[in-house]
Amino acid sequence: MLRYVARRLLHLIPVLLGISFFVFLLVHLVPGDPVRVMLQDVGSPEQVERMRKQLGLDRPFYVQYASFVVRAAQGDFGRSIHTRRPVAQEIAFRIPYTVRMAVAAMLVAVVMGIGLGAVAATHHQSALDYGTMVVALAGVSLPSFWFGLVLILIFSLHLRWLPPAGADTLLHLILPAVTLGSGAAAIIARLTRSSMLEVLRQDYIRTARAKGLSAQRMVYRHALKNAMIPVVSIVGLQFAGLLGGAVIVETVFGWPGIGRLAVDAIFNRDIPVIQAVVLVAAVIFVFVNLLVDLLYGLLDPRIRYG
Amino acid sequence: MRYRLLSSIALLTLALMALSAPPGGAGPARGGTLTIVISSDPPSLDPHRTPSVGMAHAVMYETLVTVDRTTGEFIPGLAESWEVSRDGTTITFKLRRGVKFHDGTPFNAAAVKATFERLASKELNSPGATWLGTLSRTEVVDDYTVRLVFAQPYAPIFSSLRISFLSILSPAAMARMGADYSQNPVGTGPFRFKQWIPNDRIVYERNPDYAWGPAHYKNRGAPYVDQLVIRIIPDESARVIAFERGDLDVLPGAPPRDARRMMREGKFPFIQIPTTSGTYLGLNVKRPPVNDVRVRRAIGHAINTDEVARIALEGLAVPMLSPIAPTIWGYWDGVKQYALDYNPDKAKALLAEAGYRPGPGGAMMKDGRQLEFTVWTYALMTNVRLAIVVQSQLRAAGIKMNIEQLEVSTLLAQTPRGEHDAILISYGWPDADILYFFFHSSRLATTNRVHYANPQVDKLLEEGRTTVDPAKRLEVYKQLQRILLADVPWVPLASSLALNFHHAYIQDVYYDKYGNLLLLDAYRQR
Repeated sequence: MLRYVARRLLHLIPVLLGISFFVFLLVHLVPGDPVRVMLQDVGSPEQVERMRKQLGLDRPFYVQYASFVVRAAQGDFGRSIHTRRPVAQEIAFRIPYTVRMAVAAMLVAVVMGIGLGAVAATHHQSALDYGTMVVALAGVSLPSFWFGLVLILIFSLHLRWLPPAGADTLLHLILPAVTLGSGAAAIIARLTRSSMLEVLRQDYIRTARAKGLSAQRMVYRHALKNAMIPVVSIVGLQFAGLLGGAVIVETVFGWPGIGRLAVDAIFNRDIPVIQAVVLVAAVIFVFVNLLVDLLYGLLDPRIRYG
Repeated sequence: MRYRLLSSIALLTLALMALSAPPGGAGPARGGTLTIVISSDPPSLDPHRTPSVGMAHAVMYETLVTVDRTTGEFIPGLAESWEVSRDGTTITFKLRRGVKFHDGTPFNAAAVKATFERLASKELNSPGATWLGTLSRTEVVDDYTVRLVFAQPYAPIFSSLRISFLSILSPAAMARMGADYSQNPVGTGPFRFKQWIPNDRIVYERNPDYAWGPAHYKNRGAPYVDQLVIRIIPDESARVIAFERGDLDVLPGAPPRDARRMMREGKFPFIQIPTTSGTYLGLNVKRPPVNDVRVRRAIGHAINTDEVARIALEGLAVPMLSPIAPTIWGYWDGVKQYALDYNPDKAKALLAEAGYRPGPGGAMMKDGRQLEFTVWTYALMTNVRLAIVVQSQLRAAGIKMNIEQLEVSTLLAQTPRGEHDAILISYGWPDADILYFFFHSSRLATTNRVHYANPQVDKLLEEGRTTVDPAKRLEVYKQLQRILLADVPWVPLASSLALNFHHAYIQDVYYDKYGNLLLLDAYRQR
């Protein structure tokens, strides 16, 4: 198993190289210029040239990329063009916020998703089943920037229970976590339902029922656990997806995480920050997937790593 | 019963006020936190390392001069007085004594010199250096006298001197912090920096040593509130809701739609102030069909700016008659007789002169094609609404205007190539010198986005920069406004009004005409 993990981690190297090259290329192809943004266009032409030189943006594309790779390999991501703070510092500061929100959102998604899915499956083809699935459909379909604003309207403005923006307390976490988690909750609910329906038809469930297990025990001990295998893999994928969703949700709720850092960096064409954020997201993505693959083994002894 | 309850509350309030009032009468209450809001993180709190400055800088830094909040005149800030040499190449400042930086070091002539030299240094390449104009050196005459020497007279310098880019920084802190000044900023202002959580909030505390407030305040000493929090909330609606819930005490610059509603509801006091911003339709004078001055004039006469201000900006704006917004120094009231008035007949006549004839549905046609152009604008609600109103007005005149929404940095990068017909964007600037950036031929590669080049205008723009006598300088800008309204590289549209709300328990908050919050007198009522 250790060898398996090591091999997977080795795969990370070409993945990161590929991603960083692609992002570098993309940023260079998109019109826009960090120097113009930085100097707000009022700088003199000489000043623009000087800054371009200072930032190394006057060098050919491949030289810039090579120098980025060499420095990044040593853990040096340079300084942000826009804020002139070290990129590592910018990211290190924001990661805890995004992780906090993503974990809370995942919690919302898992509890709601598995709960609703299990209820729907055990009440197959009843009103409860259809109702739950309509809610789930809505959860997948509602765009988060809209859903977030609706939650703010209801819970911040009308009921006045929860603050609409900021990141001080646990109360601040609730609305963004629900907004971010709702899409994943819906997907998990649908998958839990279909996976459970399949498991409930298996022979061993019939056996369990035949030997007189209570319905509750049968569902939660036997069926749910076995239905969880596909669910775990989707949870992993969704977690990575949450990082993407954070970009929008963090802006709506004024949450100081890396999603907003990424948006600002893109608008400012702040190349070092864009690169670093994308790489960090890629690393998280790969690690979460690895974790999911390892979890399979725990849930399903039939799976072996080689 | 209700009356009794109310009156007992009133009595209680009176009693509390009496308790908190200083001996000798009711005065402002001390203490508490004041929470305000801005829409985005300042890139850096070091004024020399940021492309933009705002509230976050203005509350903790101070400049040599400032502007009076009522008259708009330049008044002493950290400088007590100044004298401009007859040829306009030197300005000598007498500095205020007894001013201390937040790190305890004294403010003096050496600090001014060190600050301006750092701002101008090639190595730092500061975005704010533009504001120094032609400054060639800063001389220390004595401890409290400093002289700015210019290579040639630079008339807009006073507009520059009050901007936070030119705040005076502590030499000791600059030497100690270097590139990290932003993380530990040190100024002389009424609030000192305490903490910055990027993209969330900046926290400041009252500077107890402060005793040098500008003359337009009642309170010239330390602020009444203990703490100032600037929240950073990017979403417009979330900002408004946070304010209405009471998470924020002050909401500067409410979005027009919400501002209208809140004015109607009347729950919150508000202050309405004009801004130094202007929105315009810029026409690329090198590109057909708008390279024809008759077409540009016709567009100007087909646009009803009253309607633009009333509909697109919810009436929270004034129509703009000149490229210079009415609040900016250099605006000239006499411009009215040269302005492009709304006059569809004139527009029609001008188009006929340019060879356009009405075709099917009233569309103005020439050589079998309709008069059509595309405008680029930022994907901001306000801009898009403006563009749509203009679009429908032009449609009525038979002109087809397509709207294309671009992201800010894309638009900045693309316009120098000249592949656009028109732009619809805004600017904000304190001085008529803004025209230099937009219309001087040396700016063709950057801010002269309409590709306008006119030797006469170039000459006048240079004169505007070097003419120090305000009366003579104004003559230059009068002439410029006339020429620009005849050539129509821009159709000026509207200058918006800022609506600033606060909760009723906040007293004595003011704004200057640049939209800066003035907080020395502000206090929380108990």
